[in-house]
Amino acid sequence: MKFKSLLLAGSALLTGTAASAGGYQVTLAGQKNNGMGGVGVGLSLDQAAMFYNPGALAMVKDRGIHLGANGTFARNSFVAEGGNQQRELRNTVTTPFGLFAAFGPSEGKFRAGIGVYTPFGSKLQYADGWEGRTALTDIDLKSVFVQPTFSYAITDKLSVGAGVVVLALGSVNLQRDIPLPDSFGHIELDGKAETKLGYNVGVFFKPSDKLSVGLNYRSKIDAEVKNGDVTFTGINSPVFQPRFQEGTKFAATLPLIATTSIGIGIMPNENLTIGLDASLANWSAYKTLRFDFTKPVNGADFSESRREYEDALTFRLGAQYKLTSGLTVRAGGSYDESPVKDGFVTPETPDNDRLAGTLGASYSFGKFGVDLSGQYIGIKKRTQTQAELINNGTTDRIAGTYKTNVVVAGLGLNYTF
Amino acid sequence: MMTSFLLRKATPLALLAGLGLTACQPDLEGDFSPSNGGVDFSNYIAVGNSLTAGFSDGGLYLTGQQQSYPALLAQQFKTVGGGEFVQPLFNVANQQNGSGYLRLAGFTAAGSPITASVATNLALRQGATATRPLYTKFTDPVNNLGVPGIRLSDVETAGYGSVLGNPYFERISPDNSNQTYLARVTASNPTFFTNWLGNNDVLGYATAGGAASFLTPTADFTAKNAKIIDALTAKGAKGVVATIPDVTNIPFFTTVGPSFRATLEAAKVPAIVVTTGGFSGTPGAPPTRKVIPVNTIRNANGSSGNQLFTLTSSPYLPLFGMPNKGKAWRDVYNQAKPSLPAFVTLGLFLQLQGVDTVQAFGATAAHPFPSTLVLDDAEQVLVKDATTAFNNSIKAKAAEKGLGVFDANTFFAQVASNGIVTNGISNTAGFITGNLFSLDGVHPTPRGYAIVANEMIKVINSTYGAKVPTVNPNDYQGVKFP
Repeated sequence: MKFKSLLLAGSALLTGTAASAGGYQVTLAGQKNNGMGGVGVGLSLDQAAMFYNPGALAMVKDRGIHLGANGTFARNSFVAEGGNQQRELRNTVTTPFGLFAAFGPSEGKFRAGIGVYTPFGSKLQYADGWEGRTALTDIDLKSVFVQPTFSYAITDKLSVGAGVVVLALGSVNLQRDIPLPDSFGHIELDGKAETKLGYNVGVFFKPSDKLSVGLNYRSKIDAEVKNGDVTFTGINSPVFQPRFQEGTKFAATLPLIATTSIGIGIMPNENLTIGLDASLANWSAYKTLRFDFTKPVNGADFSESRREYEDALTFRLGAQYKLTSGLTVRAGGSYDESPVKDGFVTPETPDNDRLAGTLGASYSFGKFGVDLSGQYIGIKKRTQTQAELINNGTTDRIAGTYKTNVVVAGLGLNYTF
Repeated sequence: MMTSFLLRKATPLALLAGLGLTACQPDLEGDFSPSNGGVDFSNYIAVGNSLTAGFSDGGLYLTGQQQSYPALLAQQFKTVGGGEFVQPLFNVANQQNGSGYLRLAGFTAAGSPITASVATNLALRQGATATRPLYTKFTDPVNNLGVPGIRLSDVETAGYGSVLGNPYFERISPDNSNQTYLARVTASNPTFFTNWLGNNDVLGYATAGGAASFLTPTADFTAKNAKIIDALTAKGAKGVVATIPDVTNIPFFTTVGPSFRATLEAAKVPAIVVTTGGFSGTPGAPPTRKVIPVNTIRNANGSSGNQLFTLTSSPYLPLFGMPNKGKAWRDVYNQAKPSLPAFVTLGLFLQLQGVDTVQAFGATAAHPFPSTLVLDDAEQVLVKDATTAFNNSIKAKAAEKGLGVFDANTFFAQVASNGIVTNGISNTAGFITGNLFSLDGVHPTPRGYAIVANEMIKVINSTYGAKVPTVNPNDYQGVKFP
């Protein structure tokens, strides 16, 4: 496969969303997994195992390619503290995707493959003139990881795998309004992330036909923007114009955090597969969001905003049942702890604990297969008060109540060599 | 190729998902539906002075009126059964600048603001003179009874609404009316009211540096406050009263002193000389001189010093130490002239004050700063004591009637020390850049008035168990820049 050309052709799809998993993490890599509450660490379903647990790849019998894409529809409502006006997003659809191809000898002990996926991202566009406009009006955070992977079965029960994770494409576009005494200006920060490397390793153990266990660690990658563009608009007073100079550049670093997962697969009979995953996301690496500017912006050469995220756990449960030789159906759910503490919620990630329900189905036509998945994610209602913001020194954001629901629809195509 | 195939396949799916999305949109409005807490907001009457009228930038003009805190309250009351709220607005077509006001014209090279007067499209009517303006009448019934300049001590003054009285009250009074302000309030028949009177009973004295006007005697204040509240509550109306902020926190007193102190300290000047109290009309009894050590002038953050220079002193401060600079005293004379006997010439006036303008200005007892430019520590004690006494009267009467109290004194003291963040935007009590105070250094900007409205709404909600929504203060601007 010509991955580079595929990447370019698919550039319209290169975006993530705050769809699943806390913060700005997106775990929508494999369509089969999506239908099963996102489990996968203890399973060897298809080539998407490269993402969930590279160790399991060697146990995936089929060599082939899995391509999946999702439409995520986030619907957010916000009411500012003391107010009664409901603000809603200017709605957008984002399309996280995953592409996984694996090769290897039909009866050999190893599989090699490459995965391309979008593990982090967020896109939100707030209503014009909303109360939090000076914190954020728009955010579009994208990342595409490319992961060459090698997996080896040490015995027929134990396999290991590792992938080099390349942050191949990363971009951030963050916009907010600038408060001037008598009006609002606007600042847009737009930058591309440097290419960075990380890794994804896993162990997979299948003591019997009825049980499998997996362990996975995905490392942190710091997405680093070095020479991003800063654009100012709407600053009309000559008094203020010199405070916002053209040609200002910014630098910023956003941690794409590490995740450690354990998963169990239970196969009571050959038609039923049940998966259970637990993950720990090391969100505590996200302490502050800092932008350094090459020229002072309104008198300051940097801006810093407290995040103080906490490590967060995710629990997933899912099952698939093979109804006929062609048709498999799936269901699942997940509970996802928010990494965001009370009083630290920002409009980029109006986050809280999430509860998700998923459905999925596959139909196989021999070498060719189609997967469908659907998810409904309810992010719990979250209120933070101005008093909390004052106590935490986080008054750069806004007090009020957020509630978000997300619908994700996914389609996957499989081809087995 | 793969992509376009995928898109074609995904499109119907996306449409299907789209159908379910109306149900997906979370609904929070039900959690925040407004309620009146049993308060009847159908006839809201606002009683007060310039703050209530929407006075800003040294004048009353249409934009300020439209964004007065009573107008904002009435707008929010509409969500809980509030009625029409009539304000005596200036005509938008050609009189929108009302009394005229100050605008920010620019900055000096040193960064000091330059203001200019807006004197076109005023709402003056025939018979107005430079010293006695008469404004275009507005004699329909009004809900906003805010009268710039009114003191609580004025509320029983007959003729206060005549052409010889207060031009703003005259404007809303019927022709040839002798009705007092108290009678007007009594006749207004509110179902709900706000009352914020009493600021001018200390402010006039304070802004004159203790050299003119007077502090209302506490007994008089208490009695008249009781009468106003009794009138408003006679038919069972509920309401909110506001206390009087400590005027020494406002930019009018905190802006120019700190930089003057810094200039003097850089020049190693140990002390300056001012007069204190009123001016003298008695030969041989010039006003008392007071030596003010430079390190007792209040600094920028208020951590040191307590002598306050008025905003109006700023044109005179650069003249410090210079001989033959009689501008300050000449201006004092010109201002006082209308109330002086005709035979008092500038020369005689200066002689009575013991002033010799040949001497170095501000540096010597012979040519001191006039008292009007400085609110000294002793004068501040009088202002503070009066404010405390007045606020005690206001709170006691409110408690007697079970009214809500917006403690503007406590609130503005906090704003002065910590600022206030509104939906992510920092605001302070700083002049021009702080967003809250207008160019006169005394009256709020629309942003400041919006914050006042919100504080009053919080008091209404907590006192009466209502859920009146607040406004977003950031929708209202601070000082307008050129």
